Amino acid sequence: MSQSPQSNGASADTAAQSESRDAHLRVREEQFLRDLKADRRRQSIRQLSLNILGIVLFLAAWEATPHVIPWMNRLLFPPPSDVVGTLRELIESGELIENIRVSLLRVLNGFIIATILGTLAGLLTGRLQLLQFLSDPILHGMRSIPAIALVPLSLLWFGIGEPSKVALIAWGAFFPIWLNTYTGVRDVPPVLLRSAMSLGAGRVQTMFLVILPAALPFILVGLRQGIGIALIVLVAAELAGASSGIGYMIATSHQLFRVDIMFIGIATLGFLGYVVDRLFTLLQSYLFPWYSSGK
Amino acid sequence: MSALIDIQNVSKIYASADDSTAWALQDVSVQLHKGEFVCAIGPSGCGKTTLLNIIGGFTQPTEGKALQDGEPITAPGPDRGVVFQEYALFSWLTSRENIEFSLRVKGVPKKERRERAEHYLDLIGLRRAADRYPGELSGGMRQRVAVARALINEPEILLMDEPFAAVDAMTRATLQEELLRLWQTLGLSILFITHNIEEAAFLASRIIIMSPHPGRIKDIVSVDLPYPRDRGSPEFAAVYGRVDRAFHT
Ligand SMILES: Nc1ncnc2c1ncn2[C@@H]1O[C@H](COP(=O)(O)OP(=O)(O)OP(=O)(O)O)[C@@H](O)[C@H]1O
Ligand SMILES: [Mg+2]
Repeated sequence: MSQSPQSNGASADTAAQSESRDAHLRVREEQFLRDLKADRRRQSIRQLSLNILGIVLFLAAWEATPHVIPWMNRLLFPPPSDVVGTLRELIESGELIENIRVSLLRVLNGFIIATILGTLAGLLTGRLQLLQFLSDPILHGMRSIPAIALVPLSLLWFGIGEPSKVALIAWGAFFPIWLNTYTGVRDVPPVLLRSAMSLGAGRVQTMFLVILPAALPFILVGLRQGIGIALIVLVAAELAGASSGIGYMIATSHQLFRVDIMFIGIATLGFLGYVVDRLFTLLQSYLFPWYSSGK
Repeated sequence: MSALIDIQNVSKIYASADDSTAWALQDVSVQLHKGEFVCAIGPSGCGKTTLLNIIGGFTQPTEGKALQDGEPITAPGPDRGVVFQEYALFSWLTSRENIEFSLRVKGVPKKERRERAEHYLDLIGLRRAADRYPGELSGGMRQRVAVARALINEPEILLMDEPFAAVDAMTRATLQEELLRLWQTLGLSILFITHNIEEAAFLASRIIIMSPHPGRIKDIVSVDLPYPRDRGSPEFAAVYGRVDRAFHT
């Protein structure tokens, strides 16, 4: 400090003043943050309790229905109080868990195959016009066939075991993954490709370091749609011919006239679909933090 | 002295959607020398970007020659750094990773990459934003990163296509000063495209004035004012007037 003696007093004064102001600002900031956090906590508690209330209301309405509507058959429309006992039995015997495991494994295997083939096909057809033109009519034609129409054929070809289910799921999930990847890859902003070229990236490097990540938002949409379709195809395949799995559980409960088991199977599918979708979103924000940070 | 970039009688023809043809450039000749700061200026559609794309190697001229150190330009390469008008950063990479990109594809070891990126982060004053993604940066910060990403290769020439067009006026003035500082300390050669006369007068040692339909070079003005330039000075106003008049004759 090279200040003259006269101004010393004044500047010491301002220093003290500004220090007290800083302290005040810090306190204010902390309080602001505390309030903000408390506010957020209140908000999430409110959300959660309303979520739970929604479920309770739903169950109550369901429970009340057979009581309120006299011609409702409790066997055809069992209320939660009837279903809950069956649910406990199915859990304790391990039957439910085993069926979930089998079904999820099928979905996973089929989905992995679809992901590998779908993204590969999307990358190639999106980048190489020759391949795109060559494959366009066939791929789009096949895409228009509902996977469910292929269930009998698949059973005939691959039998009643795992391969027929996995193949059907892979088939069904392949198309949304391919189509979205294709779109994302084709529409990578040219300026990014030019940047990559002018920064010295070769074709393969551009493919993996630029095109693939740039198309990722699209690929993720495709994967998400693919999972949805995989669950649908899974159930179709299991209903038609299987010796295990949630779909199988629903099919046999039909023959046994056990609507309660059927309800559990159906609810399990809803639950699984929801959980898988949530997991997918979580994984996405964990793996690709930049994806949510602005554009 | 042989030119760094030599554009000889270059023409470029494009087909529009209705199959009519348009000359984006017609018989354009110009040379860019080492250490020069050249601005190309002109109204929309006069072929500025086309000229830059030809030098960058993104497109080939329909007629004429584009040479770099006497060799024909056939493809883009890291010896010509490019900063685009739109944001061209890789949104999935942090600032640091964006800047390191060209070293990464060249296979430079991680440690050296980091050191060199650090140096350029300091040059653009963004060391604190090193680990942020482009989506978390302001427009001015993004273009700083884009400049650093292009410079880390130590290119022979930096090609900039209206790089500051999308930022606000205050930030733009700061970016211009920073760019001049980089140009002087690193001894760069720059081709800078703009349609802002003031920007050209503030930056350029030579101004290429272009006109549209067909895209042609109308005039080339040398600016001998010393740096840093004072926008309020009569000399600056004189340069501005000269460029402005060139458009209207
Ligand atoms: N890929 C293309 N296909 C067809 N026409 C094109 C293409 N690129 C440029 N042109 C035409 O060439 C002319 C010059 O375009 P260019 O982009 O070089 O202009 P510019 O000076 O950069 O304009 P701006 O200031 O708007 O960026 C324009 O008439 C434009 O329509
Ligand atoms: Mg342009």
